[in-house]
Amino acid sequence: MNVPKFVVPVLVIATLFGGYFLRTAFTQPTTNVTVGTGAGEKLECVVDGVKCKGTAEFFTALYRDIEGINSIETYAADHRVVFTYDPAIITPEKIRNIMEAPIPLEDGSSVQAFKCMSMK
Amino acid sequence: MRTRYVRYGLLTGVLGLVLYLAFGSGVRSFEAYCPFGGMEALWGLHTSGEFTCALGPLNLSMLLAVVALALVAKKSFCGWACPIGFLGELCGHAGGMVTKKRARPGARLDGVLRMLRYVVLVVSLVFTYKAGELILRGYDPFYLIFSGIGHGTAGIVSYVVLLLLGIGALLVPMFFCRYLCPLGAVLDPFSRVGIVKVFRDEGKCTKCGSCQTACPHDIPVHTLTQVRRRDCTNCLECLDACPEKMVLSVKASL
Repeated sequence: MNVPKFVVPVLVIATLFGGYFLRTAFTQPTTNVTVGTGAGEKLECVVDGVKCKGTAEFFTALYRDIEGINSIETYAADHRVVFTYDPAIITPEKIRNIMEAPIPLEDGSSVQAFKCMSMK
Repeated sequence: MRTRYVRYGLLTGVLGLVLYLAFGSGVRSFEAYCPFGGMEALWGLHTSGEFTCALGPLNLSMLLAVVALALVAKKSFCGWACPIGFLGELCGHAGGMVTKKRARPGARLDGVLRMLRYVVLVVSLVFTYKAGELILRGYDPFYLIFSGIGHGTAGIVSYVVLLLLGIGALLVPMFFCRYLCPLGAVLDPFSRVGIVKVFRDEGKCTKCGSCQTACPHDIPVHTLTQVRRRDCTNCLECLDACPEKMVLSVKASL
């Protein structure tokens, strides 16, 4: 059966959109740390610096013991972090400040490892 | 309208999108576009339920979508939506303008070299599965180019690899796709059964060979009644190049 030439690019474009929308079927965290019950308000941030499994694990190790943070899920592929926090103890702005605070290094200097690009 | 204008328009859009994801979006998420990342993610998902390193759901969904596309329309993703294939094709044109003639390795050498992509596929998967990290990204042109030879690359070795791939692309059309691309190896079996493909009317064909000259993968379309070759990306350059009317056409057939 003859098909018009434009069928090929139409199929390709449909594939790109299909692949994009199908992604929600596979969403899973890169690391998932829960402290206590893990209950509370949700805060979702896009964090520059969370870019692989190693940095995701480093991120959760740094902030899992902060008082008021009950769970941290990281999604390295889209640099996303989801906190569950107790609003009576900590606020989103305070979490942001803690995240962006410079991390001291062994040689006495410090480095800002993570930067919050957006919060919701 | 020439098919190439549409194809290059789409490829330019894809290249622009990946460049934006790499350099313009604040966070570098361009790796999510690569369907081969889906293959690399499978083992991590199977063993720990987590995505490996910088891989994520989009890699996996892109892989499934591109495999489905290959079953319908062969390796159309490679010809119409792969930024590395596009850059390789442009390099091939640039090289052709300088040398005036495309380098064609002998059939035997070409056949042996084409097996390399299966070796690259196996090595990539074994190393990634064993390490749980994308430890070969320092040799991957997609990562090297769009990360600006950034985090996780292999220093001077990465520069050398990129230089060699660039020289290869200038000398041999579609050098990386033809000999080294592991995604191409993954898609090979699916592409062979692709339904939408180019057909040739033997009675009308003058066997001038314009189709083969225009084909980025050097497929001798003028010797085939239907293009089932695993390398065909349905780019349709052969249809544009054919001087006769109604000799080549696109058909859907099992």
